[in-house]
Amino acid sequence: MTGTWALIRLILRRDRVLLPVWIAGTALLPSSIASATLDLYADQAARDSFAALSMSNPAQLATRGAIYSAGVGGLTAWTLGSSLTLIGGLVSILLVIRHTRAEEETGRRELLSSGVVGRHAPLAAALVVVLGGNLLLGLLSVPGLSAAGLPAGSSLLFGLSIAGGGWALAAVAALAAQLSASSGTARGLAVSAGALLFALRALADAGGVAWAAWLTPFGWVRLTRPYAGDRWWVLGLLVAFAAVLSAAAFLLSTRRDVAGGLLPARLGPASGGPAGVLGLAGRLHRGPLAGFAVGFGLLGALLGVAARGLDAQLDTPQFRELAATVGGAGAHISDVFFTFMMYVLSQLVAGAALVSAVRARTEEAAGRADLLLSTPIGRLRWAASHLVFAALGPALLLAVLGGAAGLAYGDPVRVTAATLAYLPAVWTVVGIATLLCGALPRPATAVSWTALGLFLVIDLLAEFRLAEGVVLELSPFVHVPALLLGGDASPVVPLLVLTALAGGLAAAGLALLRRRDLAPST
Amino acid sequence: MNAAVHADGLVKTFGQARALDGLDLTVRTGEVHGFLGPNGAGKTTTIRILLGQMRADGGQVALLGGDPWHDATELHRRLAYVPGDVTLWPSLTGGEVIGLLGRVRGGLDPRRRADLLDRFELDPRKRCRTYSKGNRQKVALVSAFASDVELLVLDEPTSGLDPLMEAVFNQCVLEEKRRGRTVLLSSHILSEVETLCDRVSIIRAGRTVESGSLAELRHLTRTSVRAELAGPAPGLAALPGVHDLTVEGTRLHCQVDGDALTPVLAELAAAGVRTLTTQPPTLEELFLRHYAGAAR
Repeated sequence: MTGTWALIRLILRRDRVLLPVWIAGTALLPSSIASATLDLYADQAARDSFAALSMSNPAQLATRGAIYSAGVGGLTAWTLGSSLTLIGGLVSILLVIRHTRAEEETGRRELLSSGVVGRHAPLAAALVVVLGGNLLLGLLSVPGLSAAGLPAGSSLLFGLSIAGGGWALAAVAALAAQLSASSGTARGLAVSAGALLFALRALADAGGVAWAAWLTPFGWVRLTRPYAGDRWWVLGLLVAFAAVLSAAAFLLSTRRDVAGGLLPARLGPASGGPAGVLGLAGRLHRGPLAGFAVGFGLLGALLGVAARGLDAQLDTPQFRELAATVGGAGAHISDVFFTFMMYVLSQLVAGAALVSAVRARTEEAAGRADLLLSTPIGRLRWAASHLVFAALGPALLLAVLGGAAGLAYGDPVRVTAATLAYLPAVWTVVGIATLLCGALPRPATAVSWTALGLFLVIDLLAEFRLAEGVVLELSPFVHVPALLLGGDASPVVPLLVLTALAGGLAAAGLALLRRRDLAPST
Repeated sequence: MNAAVHADGLVKTFGQARALDGLDLTVRTGEVHGFLGPNGAGKTTTIRILLGQMRADGGQVALLGGDPWHDATELHRRLAYVPGDVTLWPSLTGGEVIGLLGRVRGGLDPRRRADLLDRFELDPRKRCRTYSKGNRQKVALVSAFASDVELLVLDEPTSGLDPLMEAVFNQCVLEEKRRGRTVLLSSHILSEVETLCDRVSIIRAGRTVESGSLAELRHLTRTSVRAELAGPAPGLAALPGVHDLTVEGTRLHCQVDGDALTPVLAELAAAGVRTLTTQPPTLEELFLRHYAGAAR
């Protein structure tokens, strides 16, 4: 473990902007949601009817789980429990891989390991920082919640539950980092495992198999029941999960070489290779795309199956009222459900598309573009070869998601069409990233992800009426017509406008890329 | 057009820092040109401008008779580049990368490829993520040497190679020269430059401080003189152009400016010479003399 402290300081130095933004940003959310809940539903009767309505909505059950108490605290914990674990978990996964496997892959770890740095120090340092960050954001959320009038004890339990969710996923990432020699594969493994654990909780709450929530950290985060009975001992499950997985990661790290993986590296073909720059882009994008397609396919099938019984099951007065408010008189409950879910999931597809959209920049930063662009390949052709996958990739993913959901539900054409309607909004995100890669190459990747994150936050704030009017209009997802509900007079116009906007942004990005110097990160 | 590269007064600034400050560089067609300078002198920046990856802020530059920024795609058909820090696609094998680069450059000679793989002892079946720095460099070198181009731009190409592989590299460069190809070789390794290069340019802090053939450059610098004398040579220390004189009994050692050799030899002869060794300046001495003022 020698050298752990020095490595911790290195991580803090490298992420001196990211860590405070993540911790402070997340820690501020609970108190603002608590006060917004109080504003929106001033008396207990209003809160009760909101809770009853939400509990009858399978989309809400799938994304957030069951409401254990309809008080301000209970509603706040319900609103944020899953989403903060998703955000914190994703940040934790990315950070742990970034400071372990990615360091080994680039060879920087070798440099450090030759100094006085113990074998376990890099993993220990990454975990200390990430676990510490999660703990800090959990604790920092407590004063705000107390100030909003919530009991301090329950608020502490809520904060620690959120922290525990982050710990669990950080440990998943620590394990994944030991398995593969590629940081991309490790990241994919950890995110897939996280998605699976989330889906398990969603199935448990929306599919009526409540016991399954006890199998996943996403379930435990809610089962601590802050403000609704405070079951402190459930925190133990989160801690134990993180401890066991971390211990396994440390054990595995002693059984492999630096920069080696447990998944074996095999010899490949001695000649051949991609036919050209488009072929190369295909080789680079196909792995992640195939992984995402399988994931979204499974998720879609799950949704379709869950939606099957909804029209009969949820034929309650509250839900009919909700369906009518959202979709107009006579709207099918399953249509409302799909509309909700596709709205949320299309933003995940945008995340997948962003991975492809910043790929050209990743290649440039790594210095691989230097070699390729010293050949007769022009910059535009090279950038376009990646942009093709950023444009067609999400089309494939949305088609798979909507197709799987529609087939499992029994109405493939309508559901697929409604899902594909989000393509122009996803393209807008791709366009923003392309523009940034052309204009501001060095911060482009981070700023692109931040923009997508802002769109997600805008939605969350809009739900609590903390964002209205112009701010809300900023998110491209808001402008997508809900085709299943058929409310919009002409659904084609907003789609064309978004497509044109995306095309314009991308064209501007490519034009700027042609004019600027290449900027490798070294 | 007999200059493969002609740069005149190149300027490139990054914010406050002036990376190139009026750099001149001429590489004649068919020569191997050594491009020398300490770290941060601007070698890589110059090469990036020549490859059209950056645009100069001032000065003139012509590459193979064209504008490296505007005619990049056309010019790149006629050159091959080996970066100083070769990064490759982790999931592709070395053989696949060589194949890809060959195809986009418009084909490569399969027999030459096989011969080079053999001489550089490179296993093309391994994934690039498992290659060491030297092996990644070999991938880029094999690809460059096997392609049919007029100009090779090599940026510190042997920094990861072991001495045996350096010897293979030297042979390859000499073969390229015999085929009439032009080579721009940026390097730190002086023995390599002495063996391979017809002419060199030495740059410091973004400016060219010397340029010419090794013979011309040596003329400008000092010769090392060692002698054992029959008697004392008291006048030696007072002669202009004599430096670092050390005398131990009858043995002496000094550095002499090129144009001061005649009076020094006359003085030595007057004292009576038992043994005499003179050495032309090594490139290293030449290099150090120019860099002495570079430490900031």
